[in-house]
Formats: sequence, C-alpha cells, structure tokens
Amino acid sequence: MAIIRDMIPAFELFQPNTVDDALALLDEHRDEAWVLAGGLDSYDWFKDRIKRPAVVVDLGGIEELHGITEEQGGLTIGAMTSLTEVVNHARVQSDYSVLATAAEHVATPQIRNQGTLGGNIAQDTRCWYYRSGWPCYRAGGNTCYAAAPKAMNREHAIMGASRCVAVSPSDTAPALVALDAKMTVRGGGSPKVHDAEDFFIGPAIDITRMTVVKPGDLLTAIHIPAAWANAQFYYEKVRDRGSWDFQLVSVAAAFQVSGGTITDARISVGGVAPYPVRLERVERLVTGTTGGESVVNEAGELSVQGARVLRHNDYKIPMMRNLVRRAVRSVA
Amino acid sequence: MDLWRRAADPWGQDVLIGVSWDLMWAAIWVAAAFLIGHFVWIKFRPSEAHEATEVPAGIPERIQRHSLASRVFHWTMSASMLVLLVTAFVPMLGLQFAWVEIHWIAGVVLTATIIYHIIHSIGWQDFWSMFQIGFSEGVAHLKHIMSPKAPAPKAGKYPFDHRMFHHANVVVGLGVIATGVLMMVRIDTPLWAPNPYMLADSTWGVVYVIHGLCGVSLILLTASHIYFALRPEKMWITWSMIRGWVDRDHYLAHHDPAKWVVTNGAAPPSVTEGTPRAAETAEAEGASPEARSASE
Amino acid sequence: MAEKLIGTDIAPPDLIAKITGRARYSEDFRPDNMVFAKLLLSPMPHCRVREVDATRALAMEGVIGILRAEEVPSREGPREACLTDEPHYEGEPVLAIAAITEEIAADAIEAIDVDFEPLPFVLDPLDSLRPGGPTAYTDGNRFARAPDAEQGDGPVWSDFKWTEADFAEIDAGRMPSDAVAISNWDKGDVDAAFAEADLILEEEIVHQSVTHHPMEPRTNMAYWENGKLFAHVSTQSAQRTKAAVAGAVGIDQEDVVLIAPYCGGGFGSKIAGTTPMQIPAIFSRKINRPVMLRITRYEENYVGRARPGFQTWVKMGFRSDGKCIGIDLFIVEEGGAYGSGDNGTAGAIADLIYTPENMRFRAVSMYTNTPPKAAQRGPGGAQIVSMLEPILAKAGRELEVDALQMRLINAPDPDVAFGPRGSTLTSVHAKEALEQGAELFDWAGKQALSGRREGTKVTGIGVALSPYTAGSRGFDGLMVIRPDGKLYVHQGIGNLGTHSISDTARPAAEILGLNWDQVEIVWGDSSRGMPRSSVQAGSQTTHAHTRANHAAATDAARKIRQIAAQSLGGSPGDYVLDNGRVFRRGGGAGMSFAQVAERAIQMGGEYDGHELPDDIHRETVPAATMLAGEGLMGVAKDNYGGRGGVYTFVAGFAQVELDVETGVVDIKEFVGVTDCGTVVHPRSLGAQLFGGCIQGMGMAMTQKWVYDPKYGVAFANRLYTARPPGFLDIPLNMKWAAVGIADPQTPVGAKGIGEPPVGAGAAALTTAIADAMGTCLCRTPLTPDIILSELEGRDPAFGRLDQHVG
Repeated sequence: MAIIRDMIPAFELFQPNTVDDALALLDEHRDEAWVLAGGLDSYDWFKDRIKRPAVVVDLGGIEELHGITEEQGGLTIGAMTSLTEVVNHARVQSDYSVLATAAEHVATPQIRNQGTLGGNIAQDTRCWYYRSGWPCYRAGGNTCYAAAPKAMNREHAIMGASRCVAVSPSDTAPALVALDAKMTVRGGGSPKVHDAEDFFIGPAIDITRMTVVKPGDLLTAIHIPAAWANAQFYYEKVRDRGSWDFQLVSVAAAFQVSGGTITDARISVGGVAPYPVRLERVERLVTGTTGGESVVNEAGELSVQGARVLRHNDYKIPMMRNLVRRAVRSVA
Repeated sequence: MDLWRRAADPWGQDVLIGVSWDLMWAAIWVAAAFLIGHFVWIKFRPSEAHEATEVPAGIPERIQRHSLASRVFHWTMSASMLVLLVTAFVPMLGLQFAWVEIHWIAGVVLTATIIYHIIHSIGWQDFWSMFQIGFSEGVAHLKHIMSPKAPAPKAGKYPFDHRMFHHANVVVGLGVIATGVLMMVRIDTPLWAPNPYMLADSTWGVVYVIHGLCGVSLILLTASHIYFALRPEKMWITWSMIRGWVDRDHYLAHHDPAKWVVTNGAAPPSVTEGTPRAAETAEAEGASPEARSASE
Repeated sequence: MAEKLIGTDIAPPDLIAKITGRARYSEDFRPDNMVFAKLLLSPMPHCRVREVDATRALAMEGVIGILRAEEVPSREGPREACLTDEPHYEGEPVLAIAAITEEIAADAIEAIDVDFEPLPFVLDPLDSLRPGGPTAYTDGNRFARAPDAEQGDGPVWSDFKWTEADFAEIDAGRMPSDAVAISNWDKGDVDAAFAEADLILEEEIVHQSVTHHPMEPRTNMAYWENGKLFAHVSTQSAQRTKAAVAGAVGIDQEDVVLIAPYCGGGFGSKIAGTTPMQIPAIFSRKINRPVMLRITRYEENYVGRARPGFQTWVKMGFRSDGKCIGIDLFIVEEGGAYGSGDNGTAGAIADLIYTPENMRFRAVSMYTNTPPKAAQRGPGGAQIVSMLEPILAKAGRELEVDALQMRLINAPDPDVAFGPRGSTLTSVHAKEALEQGAELFDWAGKQALSGRREGTKVTGIGVALSPYTAGSRGFDGLMVIRPDGKLYVHQGIGNLGTHSISDTARPAAEILGLNWDQVEIVWGDSSRGMPRSSVQAGSQTTHAHTRANHAAATDAARKIRQIAAQSLGGSPGDYVLDNGRVFRRGGGAGMSFAQVAERAIQMGGEYDGHELPDDIHRETVPAATMLAGEGLMGVAKDNYGGRGGVYTFVAGFAQVELDVETGVVDIKEFVGVTDCGTVVHPRSLGAQLFGGCIQGMGMAMTQKWVYDPKYGVAFANRLYTARPPGFLDIPLNMKWAAVGIADPQTPVGAKGIGEPPVGAGAAALTTAIADAMGTCLCRTPLTPDIILSELEGRDPAFGRLDQHVG
C-alpha cells in the first residue's frame, strides 16, 4: 500500500447534542470512533491518513461541555470551552491568572479560537517520529526511534521516559497541575474525578496514550478548586518562535505567600517529560523560605536531578533549571 | 482473529511487529477450556486397578527427587516466570501499571536461573533422565489415557508427560529468553543506551513474533503446570519439589526401579527418621492408593 | 499636468482581487471534464522501483489513468524529471494517478503496491567526500567531463573524494588546505596578505538549508485544445515560463497559452518552468482531459525545493585599522539531488563586501539525497553575508574598532572590481546606505547599549551590508494606445507577488504624459501578447522593465508626435504630450490619444505595428504581430546599454535582547536602508525591504531542515516544524529608508530590491546576537537551545559542521 498525505479520508460524522448521546455513540462504534473537539490535533492525523476512524463524533454541539461556571468556590470549565474564552474570562484572569497566561501561550489566536481546553490537555504528543506514522512503541510497535543513537531528539524528554521519550505538548497542563485542578472523565460507569497529576499518565503505565482518557471515555470538565485562587503565579514558556510553537520547556508555578514567606507551593514543568512534571521536592524545599537567591539556586539544581538526556536535548537541563529558578525568584 | 500485527516501517515497507493480542486471549481461553475439561474428564473417569509389584530390596523409605539446589532453581525460576507473565499480560487485560522494568529484571533473573540450570543439569544431574523422547513409553501413556484399563507405564525418574512438558518449555523458554536478551539492547540502562538499529526492522519483527508466540504459549504451559501441580493425585510430586523427596509407596506405584535406580543405599539427606510419610500423605488427601495411582 | 508617478504610492491593480479572494490562482480554474491528479512519492531517500502493481487502483471506479516515468521527458545524468523510477530523495514523485475526484485519486494511490529497492544514500556532502563514503548516485558523486575528455565527449560519472589527510584536518577543526576544489579563483596573494595581517580569524561556519515555502504551493492545471496547450501555472515569470513549458513538453512556444495572473510567492523556486508543470501537460495529452495537479503543503516541502546549505571554512586577515586584506574561503555546498551552484555568487559577494584585494576562493557542490536545491531569494549572497558579517564584527571587537567603522572601511566604493572576472558596477552607494542607516538607527546611542546587561537580558547591536544583483538589460517593451484613448502596457513579466507588474509601467505613463487611471496593465495571459521579457529572478525586473517600457514608450511618443505633426502641421518637436493629448507647445491644435490611435490604424506601417523594428527579439514578434492594427503601438528593445553589473545594497541594523537564562532572543529594533537607485514605489519598496529582511530573520533564527540520519527521511516537513517566522517574531520597531540616488546607467535610475534585504535581515541578527554573546556561534538557525548551550558552556549536541540537525 503506497503512502499519500494531505488528503483527509472519508468518515461518518456524528454531531450529538448531549454527553450521553456521545458516549452511546462511542460505545456503539468502539475502536472505529474518534472524538473531535477543536480538531487541531485530530485533523493533522487525518490529513496524514495515519489515523483513519470510520466514525467521528464531534462534540462541538454539546452545550453542557461548553462554558465556565463558578462552583464550590472555584471554577468549572467545560472541556469544550475554547482557549480564547478561557484566556478572556474575568475570573480566570483575576483569580487564576496562571491559567489565562498559559492558555494565551498556546499556538496562535486562530488556533486558540478553535481549540478547546479539554483538547489542549488531552492532545497527543508531537514527537515527529510518532507523528510521521512510524511504528514506534506509542503506535503499537517495538521501537523508540527518537531514542536511537543518532536520532533527532532536541524536543524530547529528559525525565520520566520509559521506552518512549516523547514529551507532553500541552501548555495549559502545567498550569492546571499548579492549580491542583481536577478532571472529570465519563466513560462506562459513573464519572470519575482525577487529580491533574494523575490525569496525565506516563509511558510506563500505558505507552499508547498520554492521559487516563481511554477510547470510549470523554473528558467533560476541568475544575479549578478555590485553594490557589489569587496565589502568586509564575508562567514562562520558551519556544523557538514567538508564536505557534510548542514549548521547548515551560514552567507554571503557584505560591501561597504570607508576610514574604512561602507557605505552600506548586511548581510544574512542561516539555521535559511525557507528562507535566510536578516538582514536589522543590515545592517542599522552598516552602517556609522567602525565595532568596540561595533557595532559588538550590531549587533549580534539585529540579533537574536525575535528568537523563538524549543526544540533542542536553540544553533542557539548564533551561529547566533556569525556569524553575525564575519561578521561585518571582516570589521575592 | 488476527495472528500478527503488521505495520509500515519508516520506508513504507510492510514488516511484522509482533503477535496479535488475540493470541493472548486464545491462549487464556484454550488453557481455561483444557483445565476445566480435564477436571471434568477426570471426575467421570473410572478408577483403575493398580498392579501390585513386589517390593525390591534396598529401596529407602524416602527417595530424593530434587536436591536443594534444584528446588531453589525451580522456585526462583518459576517466581520470575510468574512475574514475567503477569507483567507481560495483565496490563493488556486492563490493569495498567509500570511493568517494563520489573519485566526485564525478572527476565534477567530467569535467564540467570536457566543458564545455571543448563550447566547444573549437564554437569551435576542425570541429564538423560529428562532428555529423552521415550517413544514406546509415550504410546503406552497415550493408550492409558484413552482407556483406564490399559496400564499406566512405569516411568523412569521423569515420566513421559513430564518430559514432554519440559521439552516444550525448553523450546518455548529458550525462545522467549533468547529474544528477550536481544530486546535488552532497546532498554535504557546505566550500562548502555538503547540501540534499536542493531537489527533491521523486519528482523526485530521476527524477534518480537517469536517472543510473543513463546510468551502466549507459556500462558498455556504455566497454567496447565500449576493446575496439574495442584491436582490431588499429583500433590505427592508437588511436595517433592518443596521437600525434595517422594515416599517409597508412590515411587513403587509409579516408577520402574530399573529405570530410576535408587538403591545406592544413601537415604535422601532431607529425610528425617521414622514416620512413614506415604500413609500420612494418603490420609491427608483422603484418597485410596488405588484411586491415586489410577488417576495417572 | 499629468501626475508624477515615479516615486509615489499607487495601489496595485490586483490589490482588491487579492484581498477579496477574487484573485484566481491556477487552482481556481476548473474547466469542464477536468480530472485531478495525485502523486505517489518515494518513501526512501534513494531507491529503485522494482515493480509497480496498479491493477487495483486502475480498476477503481472514477480512476482515469496512470502516468509513469517512461512517459515523461528525462535526460541522462543527474537531471530532474517530473516522474522517476529511481528517486534520489525522499518525497520525489514516482508516478501520477488521475481520477474524477481528488479523494478517489488519493485512495487509488494507496491501492498501488510499489516494490522499492533501497539503495545507499547520503545526506551530508562531507560524508560523500569522505574516502569510502556513500554517493548520492549509484554511479558516483560527480558528473562532469573527464579531464582527458576529447571534443564532443559528454560528461561522465566519477567518484570525487577527498583524502584521509584532508579529513584529518577537517576532523581537527581546520580548513582542509590541500583539498581539491571543483570551482576556484584567486586574486592577489592571499598568503602574503595573511603574513602581514595584524589579526587573523579562522572559523568553521554552517548555514542550514531552508525550504522556500511560498504561501501558494505550485499547483498547475493544463489541457489541450486544437493542438495548443493551455497551461494554468504557479510561476514567478510569464513570457519566459511559457517558453520553458513549451521546451519541457517539446512543442513550439506559440502553441502554448500560459495563464498565470497570480502567484502566491516563489522566492526562486518557481522562476520559470517547474517540473510539476510537466505532469498536467503530459497527462492531459495522454488522457485527453484537463488535468489539475494540486500540490499539497506536504509535497511542497519536497518538490518545492530548498536553499542549499553551506559548510564553510574561512580565514580572514585584518589590518589594525579594521581593513580586511585577505580572505581564504572554502565552501562545501549541499547540492541536493540535482545539484546547485550558489557558491559562485557567495564567493563574489564576499569579495564585494570586504574588498580584500587578496582572495582565494574554493568550492565543491556535492549531490545529496535530499530535496532539490534551487535559488532562494539572494542565493549564495544571503548565506555568505549571514555567515561572514559576524566574523567582521568579531574582528572589530578584537581590534577595538567600532562595528560600523569596520563595515564602512570594508564597504565597496563605486570603482570596485570584484569576483573572478573583476566585475564592475553601474552604481554603488553602500557607504551612503550605511551612514544613512546609522543615523536612522542612532548607531552612536545604540553602541552604548552594546553588551549592557539588565537582569537576565543582554543587549546586542549589529550592522551588516548585503548586496545582490538587481538588474539586467536588453528586453522588449510592447504597448498599444487604443481608440479608447488608454495605454495598454503588455507585460511579459510575471505577477510573482511584488508590484513590479504594474510599477514598471510607470515610466511609460510619465513619458506619454498620462495619469495612472489612463493606463491598463495587461498581464497574466500569454494569448494577449507578451514581449520578450526577463525571468522574475535576480531582482532584475524593476531595472530591466522600467528600461524596456521606457524604450517602448519613447517609441510610442515619437510616433505620436509624428502623427500629430502629420495631421496638424509643424514638426514633431513642436508637440507636447500631456493628460492623454498631444498638442503644440504653448497651446494650440492637438489631438486626443484616442484620435491618435485611430489615425495610427489608418496610417498602418510602424504606427500600428504592422512594421516592426529589426532588433526586437524574435519571441516578441508574434505578440506584436497579433496586436498590429489595434492602435498606436509602442514597441522597442532596451538598447540603453550600460557597463558593469547592476547591484543593489541594503544596510541592515539590529538591536536585540538576549535572555541569558533561556537563550531567547527578542529583536527590539531593525533598520534597513537601501541603495536601489531611484525609488519607483515607496510603499512597495518598504514592503519588499521588510519582507526580505524578515525572511532573512527566519533563516537566521528559526528555519531549518531536519533529517533522521538512519532513514534519510525529512522531519521539518510541515509549516509548523519548518518554523518560518510569524508575526510575533518580528520587531514592532522596524524602519526603512532609501538612499534614492539614481543609477546613472539606466534611464529611470531604478534598480531592483527583492533579494538584497534577505542577507541584511539575517546578518544584522547574526551580528547582533554575536555582539550580545561576545562570541560567534557560526551556525544558523540560532535557536534558543543552541544559544543557551553555548552560554552555559555545555558540550554542543552535534559536530561543528553537522547540518540538518534538530
């Protein structure tokens, strides 16, 4: 069979109005069905004719998945809420600005208008070996081409690798980890709520998917609890260009500060592992300090301990270290 | 049901990736069917007469079947094998956890035990007691299975079915280990970095297929092995893998003293004086010697 | 008084069509019965087709036919064919399928089984030069006439290798001084110059290949009618493309009708004919239906070409006052699957901007199994400027001479003679451009900021000089004043996305005293008549066609005066042309141009084009003949002559802020000042200058090719992985200006502008970043990882001369 790209193969499109209808469709069509949110991830696969679902279930018409509501003192964001809406929402900006900043760093305005928050965190990795349709572990095969001796892996992981060295590409994921967000996933049984950290799984657990969302499941909502509202936030994303690109490394942090002292911290780094890395040891290190320069340096060094580099991504160590330092330094 | 998984390699050529996971399900179903079928079949099988044989002189009360070294080998090997099977298949059955490291570490343990066993069995054990086909014994065994009236053959140390099981495991085990060792080249360890290009993609496909076929075969082999080991009429053999010895009654009931020679005088070191174990075990099982021997 | 047109801003005639989407590109034409073609591309960097089984594909409903390599023209040796059975790069088209819909054609491609035999491949030219190394072609890596060739012998294959000793030097980080070069030239005595130099700098520099990625992929559609080929193509040129298409398909030029009113960019990859154009032409002849070949963005990566990369060694010697007195330059060029020759221009331009007087230039261009390389906006020039300007700045730092001063002292004067043939130029105002730019940029004030550190940000200031060819001579102009009184300028040039399509007609309007609303530009359809024109490449169009149209308008003006004198009395010299009328100077009898046109038709002869000048090109004759009798014809060849080459200079200045903790570079300000002669259209000039500089910035900072070395397969093959610069990559603070001194050797005084800005944008950045870092990284693109790695003193991820890494 010869290969051709840039021509989406035909599929049957369903546009259900409710989550229940969508789940019923997914259950009926099993592994022939594909869930479509904003399409920014899906269409790339379809155009390359690598993923070819017979059935596409478009969530765009499901009202209950759209919108941001206040709930339990925090915010509940429907999975299909556009990134632009998240960026512009008054309460996201005032109380949870790290999420607004992170969402604003996604790609380009056009992509943010169409892309959804749920889609952004559930998106598949962008390792170009995998995205080219090569039969790697993540694709069900036997190899990680990116971890081969001379492979092109400047964008790949320096930690958390387990056979697969691809990274989590989501910009909002580290911010949601820093906010202790909770993701609601509906599938066969009753809805399950996952802590953000547990929502993203690594290749050690399941090498074929990035999150707990299994085929047949739907991510329905992201809840931001009140706990980190109005904390001191820091977000930075380093990328090749001023827009469009996924991160080389990014950091999202939230600090509870009282009288100049850090009473609690959440620090999460993107682009260095197959999932957003939560730096718990660093959080413990900085808690109780004022974020002075010596803590800043220690935090940076601690964050990259145990990193294992590939041929081309050694720079991610100083980059990650420096971003963590800047996050902690921002408190002082 | 698919047998293989295929994919297009980076150059668009069709290559094997591995066996289909359908085979895992097939192995599980076949194993379940075989075990349940056997259980039912045995229940309805009439018991058979047991030929009394004269007791030759010089047979000790307890006959050593497995030395301490052999038993340590067996249990280490089987523990690693079980870990390998669980880490290989349980995630595919739905319970996901970080399995890869445990799997290859257990694989290293298994490989070490097998290497030990090969050396030990050649140099220190009675190699030919296991490594023979024994065609006529096999025919007699088969006839006995077909009809309880046909007498069960009296075996050497390792009866026909044990030997065939072991042969199957040798093939499948060496297959899975050899391919597993090759696969170690793809792991990132402190000693080396992954090098998937040591072999061509199509060659790796064959390696993974062999690994997969052997692996699913091992589901079947291991399941049946554990089943038979727990069968009441076989428990006396199972105990021997724990305690090291079989008692004289069982020995005489099932084995040919000419083939499994034990009259060199020395009692198995693990035997303590006194109590005739055979009767005790028989009582524990609640079955008559006749019924027990008939179940072979 | 008719308005002055040269030097003013006038909206181009196609602006509204482009903004509203009414502009029709080749993919917008859909004749009846048209079918779609889709390509099957090579999955391997080098392979041979052993067998093709297309039975399932051809049996599919809606599939019309298949086109194979043996059905298309091919030539011996390393020559690109539009389809091939021995692909030499991953992504090369092997065959085409035509079907009634594109979806069916794509499904049909998948239904084809091709047995490819993999062959050895090479991605890096140095690997091909290494003894025992792979070659891109099975027959060797050099195709040239043998040293002992006799008369009439053609080129042959050979294995061109350097020696182990050469590679010992290379691997030790030195220029392989004894390595054999394929091109070379010398001037002066470079070794003596080095002996007396006060400072010598030696560097290894890599400039990576980048894909053109015009916004419009090269979609083409063609059909045959009554023996003529109608070709709707995406191309930079027009009349010359028509000639190229005719040649490629093997028919007479006049049997081709070229329709190409719009082109969404080409940057050198669509100069005239392109290989994909052949496919619809040949396929439609075979199946007797119009064939549309829509090239996708994915395919555009491959068949759309790329700028060749350079791996370079350079040694430069300087006097203590900053004057460069010697250059030893050795370039290894990545020739791609079909070869390229950017290195020649690179060497000449190095000589031009450093004026060393002593120079040794050597180069080899090696075939590699990578997409074909083609000229890309400033081929050779953009690369060499981007590569060497930071070395000049480094010399300035070491000699403690101000960077601008370094630039000025080494810049050419009007009497410069450079390159292998000691070429001279018609006008050189490089120093004026530098000085004007320095003022606009506030060089003195900015220099105080150089190296300043604030928090984690370090400021860097850079200046660069980028020249490129900008003119040519000897083409024809053709225009008709019709009985409606309007001037119809028939352009044989392409509308490649600049404004030269209409701006080059302004001199004609001015000479004839017409307001712009009395002028119609006729373009985009060769059946309306196109004179012999230049290709739209080398930034030559503005120069060449202001001249050609000037000549034709002068011819028309002469004829108008003669007609007026004959009709109204007096002598031609008594008459003036203004506002669409010809009348006696000082007032008095006159005629409208409408009347002149009718009179011309009555008079016939040369007035209405029935008699043509002897010296116009034979390719102009059919067009002029067709238009004969339609009105007052102005047709003439540009005989204005001139000595020396025509070059435009752009001086680029940049201020950057480099974050030392992340490697991210923020461009704070950019200034580009050009010496391009007379400014014809200021707003357009600004757009070209900014556009070119931005392209250069992308080349310097973000864009590259990446290949997996094991499989030879490309990865940066999507726009988002190729990383062309986006809107947020360019500084808000960008300014441009022009020196504006007319070139004395051309009537309008205008030189071109398309290409020189690319080198200026790139080099201003590479020098500014080197200034901020205090060191030259000698590599592009300068992405944050490379910069940070250097700042942190970490081992670089790849060899100094490695390309295509990412």
